[in-house]
Amino acid sequence: MFRKSIDEFMYYLPFLGEVVRKDFKKKYHKSVLGVAWSMLSPLLMMLVITVIFSTIFRRSIPHYPSYWLGGNLLFSFVMDGSQSAMNSIINNSSLIRKMKIPNYFFCISSVTQYLITMLLSLIPYFAVSFIIGVQPSPYMLLIFFPIILAYIFTIGFGMFLCAYGTFLRDFNYLFTVARRAWLYITPIFYPIDIIPENYRFMFELNPLYVYITIFRDFAMNNTMPSERLLIVATFYSILTLILGMTTFKEKEDRFFLYI
Amino acid sequence: MINISEQAVETVNPIINESLRTNDFYDDDEDVCVNVRNVSVMFNLSKNREEGIKEYFINMVKGKVGYKEFWALRNVSLKVHRGDAVALIGRNGSGKSTLLKTIAGIIKPTRGSVEVNGTIAPLIEMSGGFDRALSARENIFLAGAMHGHTRKYMKKRFDEIIEFAELEKFVDVPIKNYSSGMISRLGFAVATCVNADIIIADEVLSVGDAQFRLKCENRIQQMLKGGTTILYVSHSPAQVKKMCRTAVWLEKGVVVDMGNVNDITDRYMQTIK
Repeated sequence: MFRKSIDEFMYYLPFLGEVVRKDFKKKYHKSVLGVAWSMLSPLLMMLVITVIFSTIFRRSIPHYPSYWLGGNLLFSFVMDGSQSAMNSIINNSSLIRKMKIPNYFFCISSVTQYLITMLLSLIPYFAVSFIIGVQPSPYMLLIFFPIILAYIFTIGFGMFLCAYGTFLRDFNYLFTVARRAWLYITPIFYPIDIIPENYRFMFELNPLYVYITIFRDFAMNNTMPSERLLIVATFYSILTLILGMTTFKEKEDRFFLYI
Repeated sequence: MINISEQAVETVNPIINESLRTNDFYDDDEDVCVNVRNVSVMFNLSKNREEGIKEYFINMVKGKVGYKEFWALRNVSLKVHRGDAVALIGRNGSGKSTLLKTIAGIIKPTRGSVEVNGTIAPLIEMSGGFDRALSARENIFLAGAMHGHTRKYMKKRFDEIIEFAELEKFVDVPIKNYSSGMISRLGFAVATCVNADIIIADEVLSVGDAQFRLKCENRIQQMLKGGTTILYVSHSPAQVKKMCRTAVWLEKGVVVDMGNVNDITDRYMQTIK
């Protein structure tokens, strides 16, 4: 059973590459700047946010633009990725009706799509960081750890959402609201200090807070995050992936009735 | 499940209709490449198909969450041998496409099981899952990847595919600008070039001009000799007789009869008149 799944995965691996390549091409099909937008749009957003918030949080957060951009990159990746995974079955229905491709590949490919966009955004992120005075350090190479964990989390979460979203399209609207709420409970544009000390443990219940904190420790604070945080992060990723896979597996046989 | 065997097995089944009718004649034959056992497929009719929470709750309040069932296939059993060409005939809505999709693994049977030995290239509704915004070149790589082929492998077959589809001048044009004949030519060329063991062709040869149809028929004959199995749906009795040895007659999701293509097709045509 397990062996068979691995074989299947390997068999369709070239397909994953092709689909990601195809979607990437289509995404920037009619824009003049093309791929450059992956790098330009976070920069422009950062400009706006910095102008608005840096006066408020200037004293408590050093390198505010990096603080915000780093958190936002990871947050947008997880949210955009899971939302597009949720819709991936519906959006690829014409293909699913005609070809035999394991359904979960569409979830993986749509998340991977956003992963690539985010990796590209890391270039302007580090460019800005160095300009505003963040010191380069070997820890920066470790940012791939939280990114991979967030990637696994997003695939799991996206598959979970997809298992329900394929049947009930209202989930899209709910998701938009939930995303906004999630943005506010995650310290992305505000510092964690504004929350009283005895409530801060609650942040750790939020996987996004955990990933973002690890990312910031590596990318701008030049420190090693606490072991506890690293374990919690790994735990969230694996648990979510298992949850997503089992839910998806249970529901996927009925997808074709709804697409 | 997934093994890409390139060995060419040539088989002739003189008593194919007997074997299909009795269904246990070849029971432990290794040459069976598609084995459909008592397959039933149920659809929920769209009446109560909830697409939103609101509808779901309204239906729940009305006590209508139960579905109106529709059985597209009932207890279909079928064995196809390697190198055989089987035609599915029957009226619209008789379950031909559903059966093909079940064999292709696109639809999971509600009851029963489908066993397939070998790789399948499904050619359903002409285009084998093409993306209309992409060019023929990109679609060939995409379709190849759906059959587990790497870019490198497809590059080797690329010229052959384009040549067969006669699309040399339009390689880099998005296929949304193609005519339906051009798309079906490309679909056919790709499906027959990916080295699948079983080809599922749903109404593919009805499009395209006479010359191309002839070319396709020749290609199919050639592949049959090489051991490829073909499952074929067509509404043209002449074409069915020409291409296939065996026919399966479906009516309202039930197999009426199967056997020699000439007998079955003739009897089917009589019921229409």
